[in-house]
Amino acid sequence: MKNAIRSGIRIGATIAILTIFLMLTGFLVTSSVMIGKVLGNIQGTKDILNIPVLNLALSVGLLGFFGGVFAARSHNADNLKDTVIAGLSAGLIGGVVVAAFTIFMGNLNNTGVDLRGYLPQVSPEAIKLFLMRQDNITTAAVNHILLLTGSALLGSLAEKGLSRVSLSSTIKSRTAQFSESITALPFVKQFLAFKYASLVGYALVVIVLFILPSVWGPYWNFIMGTVGIYILLGLGLNIIVGLSGQLVLGYVAFFAIGAYTFGLITAPEPHQIMLTFWQALPIAVLVSAFTGILLGLPILNLRGDYLAIVTLGFGEIIRILLKSDMLGSFTNGPRGIRNIAQPIIFGKPFSNDVQFMYLIIAAVLLGIFIAYRLQNSRTGRAWLAVRNDETVAQATGINNFYYKILALALGAAFAGLGGALFASRSQFTGPEDHILMVSINVLCLVIVGGMGSLPGVVVGAMVLKGLPEILRDLEIYRMLVFGALLVVMMIIRQEGIWPTGRPKLEPPKDVPDTPTIDAAVTEGEV
Amino acid sequence: MKDKKPFLKDLSSLSTGQLIRFVISLLVVGWIGWRVYNVFAGAAFGADTWTRLIVSGLILGGMYALIAIGYTLVYGILFMINFAHGEVMMIGAFSGYFVFEAFKAWPMPTPDNPNMNFLNANPVLSILVAFLVGMFLSALSGYFLERIAYRPLRGAPRLVPLISAIGASIFLQNAAQLLFGPQRRDYQNPDFLWRGTGWMVPIGETQVMITYTGVFSFVLSVLLMIGLYLLVQRTRLGRSMRAVAQDKATAALMGVDVDATISQTFIISGVLAGAAGVMWGIHNGLINHYIGFIPGIKAFTAAVLGGIGNIPGAMLGGMVLGIVEALGPALLGIDFQLKDVVAFLILILVLIFRPSGLLGEALSEEKV
Repeated sequence: MKNAIRSGIRIGATIAILTIFLMLTGFLVTSSVMIGKVLGNIQGTKDILNIPVLNLALSVGLLGFFGGVFAARSHNADNLKDTVIAGLSAGLIGGVVVAAFTIFMGNLNNTGVDLRGYLPQVSPEAIKLFLMRQDNITTAAVNHILLLTGSALLGSLAEKGLSRVSLSSTIKSRTAQFSESITALPFVKQFLAFKYASLVGYALVVIVLFILPSVWGPYWNFIMGTVGIYILLGLGLNIIVGLSGQLVLGYVAFFAIGAYTFGLITAPEPHQIMLTFWQALPIAVLVSAFTGILLGLPILNLRGDYLAIVTLGFGEIIRILLKSDMLGSFTNGPRGIRNIAQPIIFGKPFSNDVQFMYLIIAAVLLGIFIAYRLQNSRTGRAWLAVRNDETVAQATGINNFYYKILALALGAAFAGLGGALFASRSQFTGPEDHILMVSINVLCLVIVGGMGSLPGVVVGAMVLKGLPEILRDLEIYRMLVFGALLVVMMIIRQEGIWPTGRPKLEPPKDVPDTPTIDAAVTEGEV
Repeated sequence: MKDKKPFLKDLSSLSTGQLIRFVISLLVVGWIGWRVYNVFAGAAFGADTWTRLIVSGLILGGMYALIAIGYTLVYGILFMINFAHGEVMMIGAFSGYFVFEAFKAWPMPTPDNPNMNFLNANPVLSILVAFLVGMFLSALSGYFLERIAYRPLRGAPRLVPLISAIGASIFLQNAAQLLFGPQRRDYQNPDFLWRGTGWMVPIGETQVMITYTGVFSFVLSVLLMIGLYLLVQRTRLGRSMRAVAQDKATAALMGVDVDATISQTFIISGVLAGAAGVMWGIHNGLINHYIGFIPGIKAFTAAVLGGIGNIPGAMLGGMVLGIVEALGPALLGIDFQLKDVVAFLILILVLIFRPSGLLGEALSEEKV
């Protein structure tokens, strides 16, 4: 009882803060429009005046509903009474606070103050909608209380009902059954036993990758091209952070050096070197890798967080230098480099969006292949050892410094390749392409995907660069949602979407039934 | 300074990496020395310019130091980079801004001035309220930041809270942009503390202006730092903070409530960041949702420069970074655009020659 009320109060306060926050950021209007799209009840323009009150009520009600679900879940009540109390108290607290806010906003609006100078999303029409188009402010406030209490109660009851069925475990067992029954089918069984089954799988993937770019149009080619470049960057940073365990926050520096090297030696301005794409590409990659070595030599002995801040500083230094007037005649300063070369294959330009997408896909496949081979080689194991414990690694005869430099150089080479492709694709690169956010995005994608995991990098790049594009409907809210998702993701699934399994040593062959020996925990600290 | 390693071992005993590192840093130091010599030999700037630069460096340094203390306190206890700390400062700046705006819109006509408002009628009270509100809201956001984004991640691998902090930083920045709009806003100081007014101090033949806002910010930041130092050294709360920073498990055994202490640490660093935010607004004038980011990174740099986990180190680091940033380009005779390059370069040099920062670090053995 006491617990139920306490969790109800906590959730209620959260509901209230969320509702007020969403109202002030104008999200309630946006969500009402989205609900309108689903219900099809918005006629004419998407003007606020055309939004039915029902949609707003539904948006607020959904908040209350999920509040009720969480209130019921957070204290694990066995009896119905406690669940009801939790839901009721959550809704009531949330409702009362929101009602107070409603009265405040309503009165403020009636005095004729235009809040848009301070809070641009809070127009008088939005306030009117929030007041449910009631002239009497008190009625609107009471409506909000009733709405939130009712929906929270409903939510808690629904949660109570659903927990009996235990939805998630049912789904899990169903899917397991389903996949079992599929593999039990005779021809599937035969196919899996077929020696070249995996080859057929790869061939399918390649065919799909071959067809997709010409099918889905320039918009998706552009987005997926960006995703592809970020996969390359992610593969490189995965070697540095995921495998060898060096926290590098200035990865964008190598990206910038790749892009600028490529641009400077192919563009007519400012140097008129004008190499072709294929001549310039290896040079850009090599210069990036060399920068990695140069940077690594003095700093790789630094401890984790110091390394992070030094590399972060290095990234910023590179960006500021590229932008500065001092190097203006060399790098074109803030204007950036234009007319960067595009690829030519067999004398024909290979530069429209579909063709360039093929090029990126080829680069990504090559990158994945190299990264995969590296990871499962002697070098890859040495990196893992260095990551897990430098002292022990050294004791087993691994030259820590060498392997760290190697990781940095290879990671930088990937970034150089990504940078060169990036510059070539848009035929332009400027200092603003190489801001700190790029490093942070790449680091996030490596960690969100699952550190040290190659499929993780691919999934992470899709999620981090693809998702914001898919969230276009929410436009101005997408970065907000993205930030919140990062936090939530770290809390509920910190090992990443597709984590690496623990590497297993092969069991001795002559002893049949020994359990698999797990190598030491690899998800250790970095 | 436990390790009394000689500065230079036998050159032959150095590994290749160390040798290369040594040569590179020697080259950089030589280059810097040469540039500085050139600037002074050429007498490129007069005494007035140097005074102006040093003053602006000190003011900037004071704000960096306040923010850097927040980083260092949190790092000392949780070993995590609180990436969203700059955003906490931004929240403080916005809070102060709204307080000033509200007071300015509150008419308080007097017989001789019918346009008088509360802000100028009670300037001291207004400033006090602005700082209190800014500090309170920043502390509140610091507290909730820890509760929501960091506490569930205790004991996770170190990169996990870092990503969570980056996420929180992105969230707060965009929330502020959505709430208040992307445009820059002009801070409405009380008239007597208006930007661009100050004392004229004669240096050589020219007059150098020392702005009121600058002196105000500097004095306030020094006072706050003294206050923090006393808090950490003299009070029960400070003692428990030091204990938790030294060893969480033992501190818990001694009856220190570790969770509460961590919350209080976030509140204190929020208070300092909030004060720095309001100061930033009062002194620099323009704020938007993005102002926290760059000072945040600089302040973390300052914390590392001074030796992270070390509170006097953060203060010193902040001051040094502020002065280096202001003086560096002039000393080296390069463009003022490159001030950040100088700041980061100094950081890299310090870390290469003295990896534990200027004052050394006060981290526990648990995790270094």
